[in-house]
Amino acid sequence: MEHFIQAANFAKISDYSRLFWQGAAVTVMLSLCTVVIGFLLALLLATMRLSRVCPLAFLGVDREGKLRDGGVLLAVSRFNPLAFLATAYVEILRSTPVLVQVFIIYYGVFGALVTLPKLTFLGFVKFERFFPGVVALGMNSGAYLCEIIRSGIQSIDGGQTEASRSLGMTQFQTMRFIILPQAIKNILPAIANEFVVIIKESAITYTIGVQDIMSAVNAVRGATFIIIEPLLVATAIYFCLCFPTSKIIAAFERRMSRGDRR
Amino acid sequence: MATADKLIEVRDLKKYYNKGAIKALDGITADVNRGDVAVVIGPSGSGKSTFLRSLNLMEEPTGGSIIFDGVDITKKKVPDANGKLVKLDIDRHRQKMGMVFQHFNLFPHKTIMQNMTLAPVQVRHMPVAQAEEKAYTLLERVGLADRADAYPIQLSGGQKQRIAIVRALMMEPEVMLFDEPTSALDPEMVGEVLDVMKELAHSGMTMVVVTHEMGFAREVGNRVLFMADGRLLEENAPRELFEHPQHPRLKDFLSKVL
Repeated sequence: MEHFIQAANFAKISDYSRLFWQGAAVTVMLSLCTVVIGFLLALLLATMRLSRVCPLAFLGVDREGKLRDGGVLLAVSRFNPLAFLATAYVEILRSTPVLVQVFIIYYGVFGALVTLPKLTFLGFVKFERFFPGVVALGMNSGAYLCEIIRSGIQSIDGGQTEASRSLGMTQFQTMRFIILPQAIKNILPAIANEFVVIIKESAITYTIGVQDIMSAVNAVRGATFIIIEPLLVATAIYFCLCFPTSKIIAAFERRMSRGDRR
Repeated sequence: MATADKLIEVRDLKKYYNKGAIKALDGITADVNRGDVAVVIGPSGSGKSTFLRSLNLMEEPTGGSIIFDGVDITKKKVPDANGKLVKLDIDRHRQKMGMVFQHFNLFPHKTIMQNMTLAPVQVRHMPVAQAEEKAYTLLERVGLADRADAYPIQLSGGQKQRIAIVRALMMEPEVMLFDEPTSALDPEMVGEVLDVMKELAHSGMTMVVVTHEMGFAREVGNRVLFMADGRLLEENAPRELFEHPQHPRLKDFLSKVL
């Protein structure tokens, strides 16, 4: 092969442009579903990590109702099972490869435990492959987003909570109206970054047969034995998805920060 | 006050840190009557702020009791109208206790109007239009009606604190707690905030004020409480307390600040 890139090859693979369009659509749907699942999961995980549920608190006080000075019982009394579970989840998901997680979900959970109906929607999206992909990526990004949300919540000055509670608002109302709007504004760049990471990472689901952009590349290679040019097309599509996404969120971020400027 | 109509009764209030190594409050007993302007003074680290913040349970006391409007709010369960024990709803009691903080704590992502209407609308389910009308009336009272649509960052410190005061008033509290409301202000802005507080006192509002403004204590307070080392060492009418201090710690403190 005398030329690395050949213009003629683009002409040859243009017959398969439909595959790329469909792949791009799958990647976008996959990423959107993932970020929604990931965000909801992350909210739940962050709430668990920040909760103060101590079912064994009674062990920490002695017969007279005074807090113990120390010892095993005091330590046990501070045990928060919700925070423990959430922390364990986050650490396990962050410390294992996403490829392994995708395989475990696809071959393990949806291969052996749950049988998904074989459905095809929009004419090209295979539900029984798409859904496990979304679940695996959502579970993974939930772990990362949890840490982002938690740090965002903890970055809000405690005086905000005090002011809100002093007005008689409940913990939930305080979270919803005071803390989360400010926290989300602060962590928007990190969330945008995570969203872009999800778009790129979704390429991994091609290994379980999700027909995304990478799967289109593979299909074209199988049919024409051309590899570099389809990869360049894929590169261009990924760039066109990720770059505007980060720019749109940056604009949104400026709009949200109107309270910060004079 | 002729009739001692007790609004808050504090009994042997204790707040310990580090398993009792630090005693922020070491057994405080005090009453706040309706219509009182009780000013709490004392050196820094004396527990004044902890005392004030305990009154609406921003700080959970280690021991003792706080009876607010007949209910011991330090108890987890309290008897209801039928005498049945129910879980204490601290949020309901906090609605009746407005609080003003040293650092204002306005909500930066909301306009002045939204800062003021949020709690009445969400907590009291007041219609938005009614809440806004009420807010305008209060804003006019403190001379800031034209800033209703501004964001907190656009205001000066003194303006922020005046907003914080009327934001608390929106809930029509029975008592207002002030935690060093002028300590974070530039000197030229202290006056405008004290004026609002003075007007509030004259309107009959029950107030507990932690402050270093001795002039305010003397002029507006009807009782002054002196705290040091987590204890209430002396309590008297302002004139008496400032002119004839009894406790050596108070004498020492006054010699430094006056």
